[in-house]
Amino acid sequence: MAEFKVTFLPENRSISVDSSTDLLTASLKTGIHIYNSCGGEGVCGRCKVIVKKGEYVTEDSGRISEKEREKGYVLACRTTPKSDIEVFIPEESRLGDLEILTEEIKAKRLAGLYSPVEDVVEAVSDRPLQKVFKHSALSTKLFLKLPRPTIDDNCGDSDRLLREIRKRHKEITVMQMGLSNIKKLPRLLRESNWEVTVTLGNRNKTTEVVLIESGDKSRENFGVAVDIGTTTIVAYLVDLNSQKVLGSKASYNPQVDFGEDVISRIIFAQHEKGLEKLHHAVIDTVNTLIDSLIKEIKLTLDDVTAIICAGNTTMTHLLLKIDPANIRKDPYTPTVNFIPVIRASEAGIKINPRGLLACLPCIGSYVGGDIVAGVLASGMDKTKDLSLLIDLGTNGEVVLGDKEWLMACSTSAGPCFEGGGLKSGIRAMKGAIQNIAIKNNAIHVETIGNEPPKGICGSGIVDIISELLKNKIIDRSGKFVGAVSDRPLHKTWVIRESEGVKEVVLVEAKDSAIGKDITVDENDIKNLIHSKGAIYTGIEVLLKEAGFKKSDIKHVFIAGGLGTALNIRSSINIGLLPDLPEKSFVFLGNTSISGAKICLLSIEAMDKADAIANKMAYLDLSTTPLFMNNYSAALFLPHTDIELFPSVKKILT
Amino acid sequence: MERLIEKWQDKISEVTIGAKKPVKIGGETGIFFIDGEDKCPNPPKVAMEVWDMEPEAWPETLKANFGKALKTPGEWAKMCAEKFGADIICLRLASIHPDSKNTSSQDAGKVLEEILGAVSIPLIVIGSGSPEKDNDVLLHCANISKGQNCLFGIATQNNYKTLTAACVSNGHSIISEAPIDINIAKQLNILICDMQFPADKIVIHHATGALGYGLEYTYSIMERTRLAGISGDKMLSMPMISFVGQEAWRTKEAKTGAKDTGIMWEITSATAYLNSGADILVLNHPKAVSETKKTINNFTLRQ
Repeated sequence: MAEFKVTFLPENRSISVDSSTDLLTASLKTGIHIYNSCGGEGVCGRCKVIVKKGEYVTEDSGRISEKEREKGYVLACRTTPKSDIEVFIPEESRLGDLEILTEEIKAKRLAGLYSPVEDVVEAVSDRPLQKVFKHSALSTKLFLKLPRPTIDDNCGDSDRLLREIRKRHKEITVMQMGLSNIKKLPRLLRESNWEVTVTLGNRNKTTEVVLIESGDKSRENFGVAVDIGTTTIVAYLVDLNSQKVLGSKASYNPQVDFGEDVISRIIFAQHEKGLEKLHHAVIDTVNTLIDSLIKEIKLTLDDVTAIICAGNTTMTHLLLKIDPANIRKDPYTPTVNFIPVIRASEAGIKINPRGLLACLPCIGSYVGGDIVAGVLASGMDKTKDLSLLIDLGTNGEVVLGDKEWLMACSTSAGPCFEGGGLKSGIRAMKGAIQNIAIKNNAIHVETIGNEPPKGICGSGIVDIISELLKNKIIDRSGKFVGAVSDRPLHKTWVIRESEGVKEVVLVEAKDSAIGKDITVDENDIKNLIHSKGAIYTGIEVLLKEAGFKKSDIKHVFIAGGLGTALNIRSSINIGLLPDLPEKSFVFLGNTSISGAKICLLSIEAMDKADAIANKMAYLDLSTTPLFMNNYSAALFLPHTDIELFPSVKKILT
Repeated sequence: MERLIEKWQDKISEVTIGAKKPVKIGGETGIFFIDGEDKCPNPPKVAMEVWDMEPEAWPETLKANFGKALKTPGEWAKMCAEKFGADIICLRLASIHPDSKNTSSQDAGKVLEEILGAVSIPLIVIGSGSPEKDNDVLLHCANISKGQNCLFGIATQNNYKTLTAACVSNGHSIISEAPIDINIAKQLNILICDMQFPADKIVIHHATGALGYGLEYTYSIMERTRLAGISGDKMLSMPMISFVGQEAWRTKEAKTGAKDTGIMWEITSATAYLNSGADILVLNHPKAVSETKKTINNFTLRQ
């Protein structure tokens, strides 16, 4: 096949490809990343480039307007070269060179202030998380004073060590020690005067002597719990002895560069070196988070002996650099659901070189360890009352059940709840607007930590839509009712048009921490309507398939990092949550991380997580015709059928 | 064996269109043409299309029926009403489209007045499919035909406010259209009613598919809408309209088939839509009109 030279401008980077290679693939090969969210299927229409010179074949996709076509715009993923060709990548289509532009681009993409690592603001929960599991950390340190060998007791050094451990921990049945540790023993034991600290790791029902140190180090034992979200990664540093959280940090998942949702990332993993790039993106972030956590309290990497990760199935695969391809192919089989405990270094995570990595078990292709963690943290698997767990993340998962059974489904909610895809959206960090009320003809905002506003987080966008709807500023389809006006009659806010889209100004530039107006526009509202519609429909279909009514639900647990507090009334007003008495709802915050922490501190909890994963049934919504129909009915505020929301009907009429 | 007769709790709203010789549609408390169940006070009506310009894309077999009248909308309308027995005239303002003749609101208004002067049967007025132009022109037309109680169209999810406001202030009825999606249909009706538009002046259009071109899909959506309407869903209990003629004559078969293929296509599609609950069928060919009217009579006489 003929080879042509494709040159990307303005970088002026070239590559030779055959005539069947599309421009998107060619650009990836040169290391230039063009924005796309469909993974090169010609669907999202974001990979627009301009052909400056040369012949090409392009497929008409309906994503290029007449004006753009005249200017030479084509979709990179649908265009192949027919001669040597020069392609200009316009600003709006570029993701930039990963090494140089990452932060700047992310700042733009995520439309908020980007800082690589942020302190996590804890969610206020009115209900303590499960603390009922016995303390027995994934890795435990034990200080031992070994009896010196005598002529009567001259068993081997290694056997002597194991014998002493067994004396202290009679429950340990199977124990093992690696050759490298055995080799160290003769010198280590004698130099340390037979006083050593052993780190015992729980590895797949076996206890392993992970590490032997001289002297008493038993007080310095730390572990890290990580929530690997599609959009956000959160890490907790935990003292494995005192069970206290010593620090917490969060960062955006840099895999966003390769696709916004799990599907586009799975597709990206199939590209040349795609899997590698995705894997490194997540590992690097986890390592950065760990690094900044330990530096803060002056620990070293060696002090951290265990790490546990909870993430959805795709994130878990990518963490371990396992090919996720089959997750999106019929019949949707992941490579692994129950992941053995491995050495963290095998996955590229930097803690103590012999430290262990455990992952929460997954249930299926689209319900993963983060949800198992959520069920564990909520305790819904222990009560006889019918409970609902809703995880408001990029994948909105919903679990229904009680102590007898559990049923889960996954909906594609998008990154809205984490501040993604919104014009002024940011993660729930200090300065994020998390509550909004319209009172006395003025908009009042409340930020996390009462700091000057930087942007809006998930709970804030829920509030503002509810308030705009209640005050009839938007109609039930989420469009602004009135005309553009600088100061609507007797009101203090501004409704204006920006690039042809109507928006309301929540905070003016002079009052914001970012020197820009903080606004909500019709596209933001539309995005959130799609997100909330997906979640609500998931709940509806799950109830229907399980044969229950909304009124049968006794507890609703809400998980997600969308703020420190979620206004339940607002959530019902916009149709995100079912219209149930407000006292049935409990906001738990990020349960993926709290569940992971519980498992880090208790092997019993980890066993429970396995049991939950084993018993949970998965409902595939893509094969449930009911979903599509109900979904389009849910794309309205609060819902096309207002009778489903009697309390909102009262407010609106 | 005794037949179970379904009892429905609600009824479809009754919409009256026209002023001089008004017709009523809707009011059903059951499904059309089901023995014993079809408590339908107003049988379906047949409308015929009249354009404000000669429809160039129409096949010769279709054009031939109207001859020179195609050039004079008033005469064309009169012919439809008097010679071919149309219950309603459907004026399509095709020439206003910027890609067509881009004629002005005033020109369109004159055509409308010409037809109002020529016939006394009710009028449906629809635009050209160019949202902005249609808004301008239909607003003018709605104003000058105040009191004539016409049925104006077509309001869609993305473009309903201007037309709704124009209809509500001039007392006209409105066609609300959704792309074969029962939920969007309902959402649009809610939005229109939220503008203080009376629900009993709305007629639903679910897009129309000709036989072999999406007919079954539209059919089942229309059937679902009707069942929801007579089951008590106020925002779906409106009469429905189907633009059968325009779809049937656009098919490959109608354009290239043997002489009567288009007519048969139109009749077959129309008959199907009658059964799905359509209250107004907008047709093109006189033969299709007479056959469809015969079918309606046969069905309703059987009661």
